[in-house]
Amino acid sequence: MAPSRSFLAPLSRITTCAISISKPDAPRLALLPLQSIRCASQKSAGTKKKKARNTYVQYDTKKAEQFSLVDAMHYIRAFEVGRDPKSSKYEMAIRLRSLKNGPVIRNRMRLPHPVKTDIRICVICPPDSKHATEARAAGAVLVGEDEVFDQVKEGIVNFDRCICHSESLQKMNKAGLGRILGPKGLMPSSKTGTVVTNVAATVKGMVGASEYREKLGVIRMPVGQLGYTPDELSTNVKAFMETLKKDIAQLSDRISKEIHEVVLSSTNSPGFSLNGEFKGPDSISTKDLSGPL
Amino acid sequence: MVNIVSRMRRLRGKLLWIRVGPGALVFPSEVSKISLQFAKRLQGGHGGARKFWREMLPRIKFRNPSIPIEVLRHTDADGPAKLDIYTTKTTSDSTAPSSSEPTHSIDVKMVNESAILQELIAKTGATVLKPTAEEEEELRDMAEFQGRSEKDRVEVRDKLMAQRREEELLRLARGEIATAS
Repeated sequence: MAPSRSFLAPLSRITTCAISISKPDAPRLALLPLQSIRCASQKSAGTKKKKARNTYVQYDTKKAEQFSLVDAMHYIRAFEVGRDPKSSKYEMAIRLRSLKNGPVIRNRMRLPHPVKTDIRICVICPPDSKHATEARAAGAVLVGEDEVFDQVKEGIVNFDRCICHSESLQKMNKAGLGRILGPKGLMPSSKTGTVVTNVAATVKGMVGASEYREKLGVIRMPVGQLGYTPDELSTNVKAFMETLKKDIAQLSDRISKEIHEVVLSSTNSPGFSLNGEFKGPDSISTKDLSGPL
Repeated sequence: MVNIVSRMRRLRGKLLWIRVGPGALVFPSEVSKISLQFAKRLQGGHGGARKFWREMLPRIKFRNPSIPIEVLRHTDADGPAKLDIYTTKTTSDSTAPSSSEPTHSIDVKMVNESAILQELIAKTGATVLKPTAEEEEELRDMAEFQGRSEKDRVEVRDKLMAQRREEELLRLARGEIATAS
């Protein structure tokens, strides 16, 4: 069975030329129409390639159902029922009209009501130095050298970020914390920018700042905790939009970027396109949305 | 982003789901808080409570936005599974702190979600909301669309399968693949 087939296959390839018909041992006539079909398919495959576009596809937002902030929050709070208010966040996605190959917007900002305030920062520096007092004032929870090392060695790690002053670096490396802090990603190193000389500024920057960046024409950023009232969220959203507009204005004149659509969603809810208003005519009162979840 | 028409269609479906269905009810004004407690795993009859949370609590929360709804999940399979309803006394004596003691406590172990809802309505005297004419219309539209898309799906699949079969046969006849017979 098998050899006869492998014998047939090369023969069929030979028949591409017209001479093969004259060959006495050429395969039957039935193969000929098949050959012509193959030629035809090859011809159709070589069509012209479409030119790639350099802008993102934009949809008409008039087709979208748009909501006021209070309405969107009403729905979102219902979708998030029973979730942990600390882990669920309001998120914002802003769609821009921009070129695919142009510069992207990238910045960090402090919201009026920070999204993640419960960050616990540990600072490793001599406990009675100037840096220590500065770090404490800026909001660090744990400051010191030997006491921190002892705590960590006992396995008590109750902080989310760790910063080390460059003078204490040697002492910390000797203490051998890498085995405990390393797997948690907390080990300070100059590579991650957590070994610094100006401790206070770094702590301040870490406490309430959030970063945003344009990806595929969309900027996404968390803008609030689930427990925020409509007024708090609206100040946050406004502050975010202001900074974004400033960022856009700073770009050079030749590049045009415009805000196309603003979508509010949360961890477990669908996205709601916002119409820019705080409250619609049929919205419920803001007091109903201000209470605990 | 996805095409805006299909995006909006999905959104409309989800919003309709949260507005209409079992759990669309309004509590009387004295209900102040609802707390549901059950285990994280299903063993021991905690499944009904979880389903009640996932499918009906969003509707309850949507219709009663000012009432706090709490879901506590513990890891103990033998632990309690109960639905607590707290009320504030609108009558004369307001000495009893309503937040510490639940007024009604429903045991929801081994109870399915619709039975929990029935019990909740009976205990609180909530009024169940019927879908409005517009919402009924929307529901009908959506069902019709679903039916049509199912029909289209079958059609497209048949067409595609026929196309693929034909190509396969052609390749076979040309002898490009050896595993047919």
